[in-house]
Amino acid sequence: MKQMVVVLVLVTLVSGIVLATVYTRLIPMIRENQRLATERSLSALFDGDRNPDFEEVPTDGTTVYRAQSDNGELLGYAVRVTTTGYGGEIQLLVGLTPDSETIRGIQVVEHIETPGLGGRITEDAFGEQFKGLDATRDITYVKNAERNEDDNEIEAISGATISSSAVVSGINNVLDGVFETLTSTGKDAP
Amino acid sequence: MTRNTGIISHFSKGLIKNNPVFVQVLGMCPTLAVTTSVANGIGMGLATTFVVVMAAAVASTIDRFVPNQVRIPVYAVIIATFVTIADLFMQAYFPPLRAALGPYVPLIVVNCMIMGRIEAFATRNAFVPSLADAAGMGVGFTGALMLLGGVRELLGNGTLAGVTILGSWYRPMLIMVLPAGAFFALAILMAVFNRLQQGGKLVLRGAV
Repeated sequence: MKQMVVVLVLVTLVSGIVLATVYTRLIPMIRENQRLATERSLSALFDGDRNPDFEEVPTDGTTVYRAQSDNGELLGYAVRVTTTGYGGEIQLLVGLTPDSETIRGIQVVEHIETPGLGGRITEDAFGEQFKGLDATRDITYVKNAERNEDDNEIEAISGATISSSAVVSGINNVLDGVFETLTSTGKDAP
Repeated sequence: MTRNTGIISHFSKGLIKNNPVFVQVLGMCPTLAVTTSVANGIGMGLATTFVVVMAAAVASTIDRFVPNQVRIPVYAVIIATFVTIADLFMQAYFPPLRAALGPYVPLIVVNCMIMGRIEAFATRNAFVPSLADAAGMGVGFTGALMLLGGVRELLGNGTLAGVTILGSWYRPMLIMVLPAGAFFALAILMAVFNRLQQGGKLVLRGAV
């Protein structure tokens, strides 16, 4: 009986210590990888060859990056969206035009959706659908049907409605809140 | 049998004769789910090998102190610890592979091949044979996943390890990289495997 308790406590204690050590050793690299992934997604959203500079815009709660070209021209914004899909958290970036009224595109930064189903949110075929949609209105999705771009619709990935709708609702939620902040900071920008 | 041949046979039985995928049919969740490409198969196989070898090493060492009643929780904690280490390690050093394997890396915890080796072998044998057994099973598992990934990637995408093998004339059988294709590929490979084991016994033994 006593041995049972001692063994369990010891095993969990050692496990905790080992994990804490490994975690603190590796976490800087993991953070750096996440930063690089965000950077890659940012440059994919905006023209890679124009080498835009990204600057974080202070807003409450939402991370927004302002993209500027070398000569200070405003290229647009990227808004970080966190939403919950089928497998867990989905992190994506939504690119907006300088007037922040139209979506330039989306990039999935991190997700743990089912490979081959929800995981297909990373594919161009899905992401391209968001290009040119109206950021001031809610986006909706249709299942197994042709989408109507004028109605701000995208076609959900078949067999992965939860992941698709998570992306859509995540974008809607964040854009709702961020729109006013952006239009005001846009005016303040030098 | 000398000591060395004993260790070699502990190792080699996991490769073919007692292959965790084709013969024991264990660890089917990662086997079917992640083998859409050779790279994924190797990544999952190596991560699993690391976990099973480390867990077997610890289990065979501490077994004599672990009371029977808490055996399962103790080994579950040990396995989970090594899985978390493998997961963190992949996130730090191989982020694209980690992204491709997604939630299946933490799920190595419930791969019954690992608990199976610990319960059936590591806790009943000494340190070195346990290591040999776990390594053999890990290598057998990796090989099987690689084969499956190879068949599915070749038929479903026309490539092998990212290199285009079947040219533009080949129209990829998409179903092979979809979940259903995992079952087809597994069934085909298992049939071939059984046939080889029955028909080519001498050849296989010689090869091992």
